Amino acid sequence: MRLSFTRFLKILFASFFIQTSWSFFSMQSMGFLFNLFAGANKDQRDKIVKIHKGFFNTHPYMSSYITGATLRAYDEGDVSPEEIRNFVAITQTSFASTGDLLFWQTLRPALLLIAAILALKSGVIGPLVFIITYNVFHLFHRARGIIDGYQMGRDVIYVLKAKRFTTVRHIFEILGAFFTGFLFSSVSFEMNYLLLLPITVLFLLLLTKRFPSVLIILAVLLLFVIMVMV
Amino acid sequence: MNFILLSVIGSGIILDKYAFGEFGISQPIIAGAIIGTLFGDLQTGIFIGAMLQLIFLVGLPIGRDIPPDGQAAGVIGTGSYFLLRVANQAGHALCLAFILALASAIIGGALEIFVRRRNEKLYHLFMKEQKRLYLYHLVGLIPAFLRSFCLVLPIFLLANYIRIPAQFPQLNKELLIIIGLSLGFANSIYLFLKKTTVVYVLVGALCGLALLVF
Repeated sequence: MRLSFTRFLKILFASFFIQTSWSFFSMQSMGFLFNLFAGANKDQRDKIVKIHKGFFNTHPYMSSYITGATLRAYDEGDVSPEEIRNFVAITQTSFASTGDLLFWQTLRPALLLIAAILALKSGVIGPLVFIITYNVFHLFHRARGIIDGYQMGRDVIYVLKAKRFTTVRHIFEILGAFFTGFLFSSVSFEMNYLLLLPITVLFLLLLTKRFPSVLIILAVLLLFVIMVMV
Repeated sequence: MNFILLSVIGSGIILDKYAFGEFGISQPIIAGAIIGTLFGDLQTGIFIGAMLQLIFLVGLPIGRDIPPDGQAAGVIGTGSYFLLRVANQAGHALCLAFILALASAIIGGALEIFVRRRNEKLYHLFMKEQKRLYLYHLVGLIPAFLRSFCLVLPIFLLANYIRIPAQFPQLNKELLIIIGLSLGFANSIYLFLKKTTVVYVLVGALCGLALLVF
């Protein structure tokens, strides 16, 4: 079974809207249905709504894998609604945790750190490096997810063991660690820069003690006002 | 640049945060570059964006957690700096722009929670009329845009007309770099320093120091 190119493009475009109507109640439920509708024919839509109108939440870039595999199940037509529902329930959490670890906790902050350092040294190269590199990975997963999901069907969950997740994450962890140290290149040998140490330690403590992020930003604001006044 | 047009562009950029695409253009460093280009001062836009980026490096939108809105801070910090700069000194403009950016990140996060609660109504409407999925789903773009617009417009309006008194504290670039780097160090150590990566951090620090000295 193969996915036609126009159908693939429709699903890819719809995937950019996966979180448009995100709510605390159903999260990406309507977004997931919107993605499925983009790749389903009119006869399948009523059945899809009946089965998937409940809660859905996963990593937005990883939703493509689940969309592709779910559409394959509907195209084959020999799978019961209960099986499809169970498949979606299991895969959404697995892809969510992998996507969060890969993109939100590793790839994006590492690339943003590199971009910030490059921006301070070479200006426009920093933002360009981020936007190009990030979107290569981002769009790869959006597009490849649809294809792999459709080709592998319900076996798509095994793709999580692939190097595209584990190796890439490991590489960006190393890059992030290297550029954490390399941030020293932006420091200057002046007395005022001694302030770096206590402020860094203070905020590191707030982060490791898991203070709410709103409190941390309030602390930054307070520190900012105090330093400017002094 | 007209502040209303800037508000529309800024709100459009913030849509990238979750409502459409998530290409990363709403990240402060990219938003700073875009707004800097619009004002004809790319370097300053990138500098302000990079500093805000280091402050908001950790902002993980995992599950139901909604962190402060670093994306809104990027747009507001850069945009209000350029608007303030027209009639005020650079140090005053930078100081007020950063205060507005940090405050707007907190307000933006709260507004996002409000919008996402309101989106529950769209879902309930869809449950009543299941044929109208496209309508009720895509209508979500409007509250997402309006959330940013309602946050950005009053701040840009203020930045456009305010004349900062001379007694107001000034912020120089050095102090801003110190704050930005401190937060950058804290955030990146928190994210990337592990037993397995200590060596890479040390190698990076040595390379950084070597570059600094030579």
